[in-house]
Amino acid sequence: MRAAIEAYDAGADVAMISKIHPTRSHSGAAEGGINAALANASDDNPEIHAFDTVKGSDYLGDQDAIEILCDEAPGDVYQLENWGAVFSRTEDGRIAQRPFGAAGAPRTAYAADITGHVLVQVLWEQVCKRDIPTYEEYFAWQLVENDGRCQGVVCWDLLGGGLKTIGAKTVILATGGAGRLYTGTTNAYSCTGDGMAMAFRIGLPLKDMEMMQFHPTTLAPTGVLITEGCRGEGAYLLNKDGERFLKRYAPNTMELASRDVISRAEQMEIDAGRGVDGNVLLDLRHLGAERIIERLPGSRELAMTFLGVDPIYDPIPVRPGAHYHMGGVATDVWGQTELTGLYAAGECACVSVHGANRLGGNALMETITFGKRSGAHAAEWALSHTTVSVPDSVERDAERELTELLDRTEGERPWAIRDELASTMHENFGVFRRERQMEEQGRIVTGLRERYRAALVEDKGEIFNSDLTGTIELGFLLDLADCMVVAGIERKESRGAHARPDDYPVRDDENFMKHTYVRLVDGSPQLSWEPVRMTKWEPQERKY
Amino acid sequence: MQVALKIWRYDSATGDRALKEYEIEAPDWATLLDCLDIVKDKHDGSLAFRKSCRMMICGSCGMRMDGAAVLACKTRMYDIAQSGHVPVISAMGNLPIHKDLVVDMDPFWSKFKAMWPWLEPGFERPEDGREYRISQQRMNVVHKESLCINCGCCVSECNAMESDPEFLGPQALAKGMRFVGDPRDAHTVERLERYSQEHGIWDCTRCYFCNERCPKGVDPRDAIAKLGAESIRLGIDRDMGAKHAKWFVRSAETTGWLREEELIPKTQGYVSAIKQLKFGASLARHGKVRPVPIPHVAKDVNEARNLRKVVNEQDRQGALGHVQGEHALAKLDHGHQSESLEEIYERPGAAPRPWLPESKEEAPK
Repeated sequence: MRAAIEAYDAGADVAMISKIHPTRSHSGAAEGGINAALANASDDNPEIHAFDTVKGSDYLGDQDAIEILCDEAPGDVYQLENWGAVFSRTEDGRIAQRPFGAAGAPRTAYAADITGHVLVQVLWEQVCKRDIPTYEEYFAWQLVENDGRCQGVVCWDLLGGGLKTIGAKTVILATGGAGRLYTGTTNAYSCTGDGMAMAFRIGLPLKDMEMMQFHPTTLAPTGVLITEGCRGEGAYLLNKDGERFLKRYAPNTMELASRDVISRAEQMEIDAGRGVDGNVLLDLRHLGAERIIERLPGSRELAMTFLGVDPIYDPIPVRPGAHYHMGGVATDVWGQTELTGLYAAGECACVSVHGANRLGGNALMETITFGKRSGAHAAEWALSHTTVSVPDSVERDAERELTELLDRTEGERPWAIRDELASTMHENFGVFRRERQMEEQGRIVTGLRERYRAALVEDKGEIFNSDLTGTIELGFLLDLADCMVVAGIERKESRGAHARPDDYPVRDDENFMKHTYVRLVDGSPQLSWEPVRMTKWEPQERKY
Repeated sequence: MQVALKIWRYDSATGDRALKEYEIEAPDWATLLDCLDIVKDKHDGSLAFRKSCRMMICGSCGMRMDGAAVLACKTRMYDIAQSGHVPVISAMGNLPIHKDLVVDMDPFWSKFKAMWPWLEPGFERPEDGREYRISQQRMNVVHKESLCINCGCCVSECNAMESDPEFLGPQALAKGMRFVGDPRDAHTVERLERYSQEHGIWDCTRCYFCNERCPKGVDPRDAIAKLGAESIRLGIDRDMGAKHAKWFVRSAETTGWLREEELIPKTQGYVSAIKQLKFGASLARHGKVRPVPIPHVAKDVNEARNLRKVVNEQDRQGALGHVQGEHALAKLDHGHQSESLEEIYERPGAAPRPWLPESKEEAPK
């Protein structure tokens, strides 16, 4: 939506395509906040923000992109506020900011613990104001590549049925992450990596796909997110004995170390038998009822609804869960991919500002800043080029593929494949990675893919056929799992979210301070390497 | 656990409608949404329902259980299943059905868009190019309204909309209040003029079903009340609903009781009131009103006047007269703030109290 607004304001003829209504997007589930060096709560500046981000990324982030993000962040947040975002306020009426993990200053601007929700709302309001047409519940399935350019999208119309091809001079992917690859994930059912897979299938590289962030505080069993804001407000993490175990892992920052560090610490406590039924405890009791209710009402509601635990009286059992894909479609700092006319922004893209580990509060900021930049660039390109041509064969080919899928009357229902993919990814490609398990996962994915070829779509109807779209989504996920395994095996070091405790327990800047690029060549994923773009920060040892 | 569900299936292409029963095996923690997923995966792949976040924030999975709107992802099934009850699941009300539990949200969004649902900041921007300076207290006025996730549960239950499909409805009006109450918005009067027209603020029947059924504690009916209060404060009171409300206040303030005989002329105007004389006479015949209204002043009229004075002195005019804030956010009862932390730590079965390990050697990264 941020990209659409920017492109519209630049004078372009814009439309949005979304498989769910725009306000249902999973950005709305972001709770804690958005990072910008506004210096409303203490001294701060974009340079410190940039350094925190570079360090947080375990020196895999591209420093030019990080500097852009941190420089433009304050202006972009003011703009959201001027558009009407309902931020929480400081005593003197400015936007309130709270401390977040691995940040040198309280930098995370917030609206209680529903920050993503209020930002999605304000963007939708601005879309309504501009009356930007939205193809709602259009499921984007394939990108149209013609003449060396991306010239549109083939969609399945969920409400009306049938394929619809929409031509465009430029296409911006803003399809979010792929957390559904995992059993325990904070991600929505709709986070199935559609944009990444669509780009991958037409030969574009996916960057740093092994970098899947595990959030330290998610609820068992399904992975519902409890915000980092809890720890920002002062919550403790305890093992079963009540010990604040982070003292042994991150003695300086304790609960406010970066997410990869805390997730690993939790997993080690759980593996060592100091957990509680596979969880550790997030203790808010000492914050007091007043503060919990004012600042963290949503988290309390989630804990009470899903676990029956009231955090005023009892600690919340939490565990690491798949949360955010640092990797994605490789883009430059204007969101451009390798293919002319195709852009990507947000979680589906990899600029890369997050490198090997994203800091809490930087994701919302990235969607806004790079959404804006992609929109501006895409509009400029569209306004200076005239033609769109989508050959008829595109839709015919898609139609044929679809008919084949729908005509199948026997086969396996896709849910078991989906569930097996998610549970094995969690087991073999989770917080800790081991060579043998990753190789095993590669074989598992190949086997699942084989079964997927005969998957049965039971619903043959035209109206709201989510059985069909769910099956296509599973195909996207299988492709992405392959890319992750390929990249994961080859990164023979421990960096950020990619931790290999057994064979390569430390970071190896000499050989691996570079990005993985996985692209589809002759039907299988091929790996190559690209250097990290550096400006002024030399790698240092990362301690919290 | 075993869960049984009856689901109203519907296909708008054929018009076929049927109540089907499903029996499934689900984990104890399953929500209604989890159960529907199991039905779709293992029993009938053609079942249609919307879902996305499964954590009560995206607003996709509004539907009815036993005739009342719920978010499927917020509804835990354990107690229901244990009681042996077989709930009936159906699509939300007041919206046309596409298929099964999927409704057509177009009417919902067109009403939303009719509210000018965006900030109209006027000409004054913050001079320093930064944020508007607003106190938290002022923002609290729109806090509940900004919690709305557009799920449609309130619209589903709206009695006024059932009789007048063009009624803007609780969601749209709550969205309107979100801007009317926002100090950054400069179009309050224009908004209230628009919202006060037919099918607007005053057409709400005050059944409070929207407050009752909102899964997020937005309390749309309270928002509508605030819009009414703001309208009257700003003199946008031509609508009969506004006049009706004003007469209640005036009547209580002057004589301490409601002078019903004057209510109709004061609300509808004298011409209209004369037309209703026959109806009035019939009411009088049945002893519902006194044939000859004799004005009198209630004994304790000063109490009513003092109440009014208190409100005026506190300067709680318009929407500010409605108490709310972040405390209302979670719509959850919390009445035990008197307990000390020590008492909380000492409760029976409490988790161990937090302690810091002695600084040992740093653990490996």
